Amino acid sequence: MTTDEATKSEGEVQAAAALAERGEDITPARDRGVLKIIKRPGSEDESPMIGDKVYVHYKGKLANGKKFDSSRDRNEPFVFSLGKGQVIKAWDIGVATMKKGEICYLLCKPEYAYGSAGSAPKIPSNATLFFEVELLDFKGEDLFEDGGIIRRIKRKGEGYSNPNEGATVEIHLEGFCGGTRFDCKDVKFVVGEGEDHDIPIGIDKALEKMQRGEHCILYLGPRRPHGPPGAGGLPCPTGIALGIYLQAKESWEMDTKEKLEQAAIVKEKGTMYFKEGKYLQAVIQYGKIVSWLEMEYGLSEKESKASDSFLLAAFLNLAMCYLKLREYAKAVECCDKALGLDQDNEKGLYRRGEARLLMNEFELAKCDFQKVLEVNPQNKAAKSQISVCQKKTKEHNERDRRIYANMFTKFAERDAKEAASKTGVEKSTEKAVCEKGPKAPGAEGEEAEGHV
Amino acid sequence: MAVDELQAIIQRCQILEESDFKGEDFNLFQVAGQKCLEDGYAAQLLEVIQNEKNKVIIKNMGWNLICPLVRCIFTYKQEDDKREYCLKILHQLAQLCNPKELFLGLLEQIEQTSAEQVCQTVMLLLQPLQTVLLKLQNKKAYSVGLSLAMIMNQLTPLPVPYTKQQIQEDKLGLCQCCNAVVGFAKPFVNEVVKNMEKSSEYNDMELKEELLKFCMKSLKYPLLTAQLEQLEGIEEHPFRHFAIEIINILWDIRELIPLVFSHRKGKSPRWENQEFADIEQKNSADSLACLSYLMFVQHFGIDCFPMVFSPSYLLQCNMTHIEVLLKSFFLSFLQDLFESCLLRMEDNSLLHQYLEFRDFINVPQDLVKVMTLCPIEHLRKKSLNILQLFIDKFDAEGKYTLFRCLLKTSNHAGVEGYIIKNIKDQIHLSLMKACDNIWFTGHHLISLLDLVLLLPEGAETDLLQNSDRIMASLNLLRYLVIKDSESNNQTGVWTTLAKIEQNFLKPLHVGLNMSKAHYEAEIKNKKENRREAHSSNTVCSVTVSGEKMPAMTTEMQLQVLHSALFTFDLIESVLARVEELIEVKIKAVMDENS
Repeated sequence: MTTDEATKSEGEVQAAAALAERGEDITPARDRGVLKIIKRPGSEDESPMIGDKVYVHYKGKLANGKKFDSSRDRNEPFVFSLGKGQVIKAWDIGVATMKKGEICYLLCKPEYAYGSAGSAPKIPSNATLFFEVELLDFKGEDLFEDGGIIRRIKRKGEGYSNPNEGATVEIHLEGFCGGTRFDCKDVKFVVGEGEDHDIPIGIDKALEKMQRGEHCILYLGPRRPHGPPGAGGLPCPTGIALGIYLQAKESWEMDTKEKLEQAAIVKEKGTMYFKEGKYLQAVIQYGKIVSWLEMEYGLSEKESKASDSFLLAAFLNLAMCYLKLREYAKAVECCDKALGLDQDNEKGLYRRGEARLLMNEFELAKCDFQKVLEVNPQNKAAKSQISVCQKKTKEHNERDRRIYANMFTKFAERDAKEAASKTGVEKSTEKAVCEKGPKAPGAEGEEAEGHV
Repeated sequence: MAVDELQAIIQRCQILEESDFKGEDFNLFQVAGQKCLEDGYAAQLLEVIQNEKNKVIIKNMGWNLICPLVRCIFTYKQEDDKREYCLKILHQLAQLCNPKELFLGLLEQIEQTSAEQVCQTVMLLLQPLQTVLLKLQNKKAYSVGLSLAMIMNQLTPLPVPYTKQQIQEDKLGLCQCCNAVVGFAKPFVNEVVKNMEKSSEYNDMELKEELLKFCMKSLKYPLLTAQLEQLEGIEEHPFRHFAIEIINILWDIRELIPLVFSHRKGKSPRWENQEFADIEQKNSADSLACLSYLMFVQHFGIDCFPMVFSPSYLLQCNMTHIEVLLKSFFLSFLQDLFESCLLRMEDNSLLHQYLEFRDFINVPQDLVKVMTLCPIEHLRKKSLNILQLFIDKFDAEGKYTLFRCLLKTSNHAGVEGYIIKNIKDQIHLSLMKACDNIWFTGHHLISLLDLVLLLPEGAETDLLQNSDRIMASLNLLRYLVIKDSESNNQTGVWTTLAKIEQNFLKPLHVGLNMSKAHYEAEIKNKKENRREAHSSNTVCSVTVSGEKMPAMTTEMQLQVLHSALFTFDLIESVLARVEELIEVKIKAVMDENS
């Protein structure tokens, strides 16, 4: 079905006619909505899979021969994700049939293009479109755009919905590493809690982007290590088939009573994860409470009391998790929210102080710890933190002074003698600090739970 | 006098080597030059500057004259000869002076100018600034960026002309100035384009970054606040022109398409400067929303846009921008952009799965807020139209989910009534069609009806406040019992009748009786106390759009009470009709069975 090499434009006119006549109907419905002729067969036998990132060059014309678009005019290939509804239907169907390096012609009925609505200003209503497409390249989908998880879909799932956090999923999982299978099992668990069933967190994350009945291959990079903490991370392709899952309710589908009931359950889960040191999972659980209750309105007095105390606990515990995860800015944000609910909250103030101290905001940290003491003069940890703050501030100033001194050595030479005596004093204080060593943070003993 | 002094210092310096110029010479030169200008000897000064022998002196000291020169130019009238001389001096200085010093001198002038004179100053100095920048050897990209940023920062506080008259008048010169700035940037854009064709070097990236920053800034100010519709009687709409130019620049430096889809890509790792990438992300939401508006509503630069994207995907991409515009109250932009995206789609073509994107569910909720709270009528009305369009585009399940969500979240009886009417329309369509629609019949419908056929607070519900909702619900129920027979029970309404009775009809009866009794008593009360009421003080006052409403007279109060009673009667009559229908139908079935 390869067309002859004629002059280019003539070739296209012929192609459009030939397509209508003897183009292959590639629609699943067999309604001749998309017809295809291969102009140049591909160089490799492989076709792109669903979800792959595909690179194409193309030219599009209306039935009257008027060119409406061309990637060559833009001088760069057009990139999209295949089979995701990003492009008109004819393309999702057509490009999936192509091989790498192939050039083909597609004739697309309006139902497979822009339909009766058209696409202002270029595509009129009910337009049949003609395309010449060259498939340049394709590669697997990078799920989180960090190279950590690459997915290639073998069989598309039903519909488009993904299991959200809290949904129960049943999966069949086969794990491979270096060509050998190391794992094969059927598991049922709640998304976000895969850790309980020895499901790597990378797969747990990827599940949120899968659909019912989907069969895909996931390549997990070392950035999202496989296995429970301590087992060591190995990059491995993992085959997964997703079974049935039950969607968790959206927050606006739950009424307040349900939300409060769920909040209690989720808080328990969060605390359990926290105790096991699974902070990421704990964050997910506590985050649910916030998303359910933060914007809730029209509560009775009793409900709003309960809701506030759940929120306060959630924010405080989130702050603790973020401290552990070394995401200090987020920790501060959570403390701010907790303090918004209860401005004299001792834990809120203390944790914000800790976070700020670790962000090198010594003065602000000191203020927080001082406020802790105002609330509870007995808090020894806060007292020692204040002295840590003071020391750090001093060290910091000193470092500044040294840098400053280096920059202006030439100017300083004149005052060399005075300076010498001064730095002598400083050095001795510095030594003293070093000997004492970094103060152990007093917060280690703090528990994440204990609210409500 | 002044000229003699200048000649004296010039002659002294002519014999000196460049490196022998002293601070004192600079001072004397500046003072003498300034005096020449102030005393009106611009022509003579020009002669001195043009003199080939003085080239070295001017090269080193000339930039000192910029400040007095600018001041002088603004004091002369447009047609004054002396002004002409001054302009020539400015031109000469741009050619002759050391670019580095002159650059700083020019920027300083722009920085120091007052708000009224900003545009004039900028337009005066753009040409020399461009000449100087093109001559700069080092840090050129940085200097171009600094100039553009400085200019835009100085312009930003100015009000953007909005009406046709304001645009034509262009009192502060902003329209003209913006377009002049684009002209100023042109040669640098060309340079980037030329270099991109050759190869990409680090330095080019820098200049490109600076130009991109300028474009982003321009999109936010003035374009986001400008009126961009075509205006009758203005051939070349200055802001439309400006917008096109900005889009052209973005296209030329190949950033247009990446920007439109930037949310998809996340951070662009190509930026060497991480700080810039972060700032860009944070501050660019408004700019990107404006860019989307320009492309999809005004169709600027649409020629460059790939024409293979599906309409649903375009809506999805724009939803982020729509949300941004909604949050920052650029409502008319938002509505136009939203509408243009929706009009590209066919009815029932939007898959319900799109509702899983946060913004697809947030935006309609925010739109409801505009509908109910916005003080401007046409924006309220248009929001309602758009909401209806949005509903129409979804497939049955999408509509179903959206209805559930809006019923739960709107907190407004009028909106709830509107949604209930929509539900009725959908049921009607499902019953009419041969192929049954599972979402608006059977058990799915029943669970939706549970949200509709009830009184939010039982018998204590404020019937007046909720009258829209109650009437719509009763109408829906009436429709269901008429259309659907108990034997067919396609909708399932007959199975759930007991529940409806319990949650809706019964409490409604009680509520009606209570409310009527209450209002009747109130009327009686008012009538009896008519005399006293006149003298009584008002307990509270009501303000509508800033104006205090006059206190209500007893007559008016009575009128209101009567109209409330009328509403109750209306509800009661529909309620009676519904119950009658139910009774008749049930009886018919029982007769049949017996």
